Amino acid sequence: MLINFDNAATTFPKPLCVRKAVAEAMENFGGNAGRGGHPLAMRTSAALYSARETAAGFFGASPENVIFTMNCTYALNMAIQGIMSGGGHMIISGIEHNSAARPAAALAAKGCITLSVAPVYADDELTAETFRSLMREDTKAVVCTLAGNVTGQIPPWKRIAALCRERDICFIADGAQACGILDIKMSDGINILCTAGHKGLYGITGTGLLITDGRYPLTPLIQGGTGSSSLSLVQPGLLPESLESGTPCIIGAMSVKAGIDFIQKQNISRIRYHEENLCSRFISRLKGIHGAVIYRESGAAYAPVVSFNIGDIPPELLAADLAEKGFCLRAGFHCAALAHTQLGTQNGTIRFSPAFFNTEHDVDALANSIKYVLDSEKYQKNY
Amino acid sequence: MTVCIVEMPSYTYAVKGEKLLSSRGYPCKIKRNTNASPGSCGYSLFIYSSSEKAVSILEQYRIPYTRISYGGG
Repeated sequence: MLINFDNAATTFPKPLCVRKAVAEAMENFGGNAGRGGHPLAMRTSAALYSARETAAGFFGASPENVIFTMNCTYALNMAIQGIMSGGGHMIISGIEHNSAARPAAALAAKGCITLSVAPVYADDELTAETFRSLMREDTKAVVCTLAGNVTGQIPPWKRIAALCRERDICFIADGAQACGILDIKMSDGINILCTAGHKGLYGITGTGLLITDGRYPLTPLIQGGTGSSSLSLVQPGLLPESLESGTPCIIGAMSVKAGIDFIQKQNISRIRYHEENLCSRFISRLKGIHGAVIYRESGAAYAPVVSFNIGDIPPELLAADLAEKGFCLRAGFHCAALAHTQLGTQNGTIRFSPAFFNTEHDVDALANSIKYVLDSEKYQKNY
Repeated sequence: MTVCIVEMPSYTYAVKGEKLLSSRGYPCKIKRNTNASPGSCGYSLFIYSSSEKAVSILEQYRIPYTRISYGGG
């Protein structure tokens, strides 16, 4: 028995329609998209475009502004390095994943940009004001997660995006923990949305998306074959090809399309409601455990993720014992240096992140197992 | 019948153009170019009706193209 509560890392299991779409893509879409005129290439090209269209429709973008990437990290690197290639000032939130924080920090360490980190508070007013106070004449971009990957906290990103719009600052959103759970639209003020295809969108691993409103052109990270202007040594400027050098992961794109279709069929509000219910149920069970610390503050909004600790028990130890009982939870620092610094969690936390296929029974079984493990001699003796 | 052949700079815009024109009642099809043209992606829109109007719709919706030629249907 395996029960996955590590869906913030990647969702599992995947919906049946996604698995079928992957099999169908393997069977039928074995050509190379946008390259060649034979039937295999043509139907593969059409399939990839249909995946672009589905993602565009879901997020309120144009199909040509949907760029398939290998993951959210790659998309964020493309956005951050692409926008900041000419230097300038950048602001990132204090709960960014390393996928945004590291490329930004690397550019700052090389002296290419100046970087500010804006703490995220439980008080949205204070958070928005902090971002505003850090904005300068030379601020080119703000990177803000739509939901933090450690605690699930949702910053007041629409307000921050509005502040950016007023100042002609590019607003880059990390949607890895939000897309497929929260209703996200480019018209909410997002200039560039970076997200994973394999988390809340239920595609396979190795998929990500960069979606732009086209307002801020990106310098490509890599150049190469695009299937267009082949005799020129200059990278073509048209999206999406200019940012999609090399053969895209067509099977992955088809899985993301099927995942989005699944979300739309199930209704995104219903998915969020279901996952939030599971979190509430888990939190109420945790509250009955002596020493439980839940990293949530009143006044703040959260995506369906719960980070917790039990007293001084090392998170990795408890997660390992729960893993032996078949429960998959991620312990440690979750690739999020800034968030753990802000939380002051020196040993990290254990993260509970449900998805569509988890049930109340799964949550109860996990809570019972935590109690059972904690009652064991090892824990009673040492903690 | 004369066919208007609109060479496209990318496959993505070829599909976008095809869908736009088809939805406006202009029958067209994406085909691979028989003569490779340097600035193109190798695909063209073959438009089987009033080409002037169709091309003006592409321009109106800012769908780029690289060249227009005419051939037999």
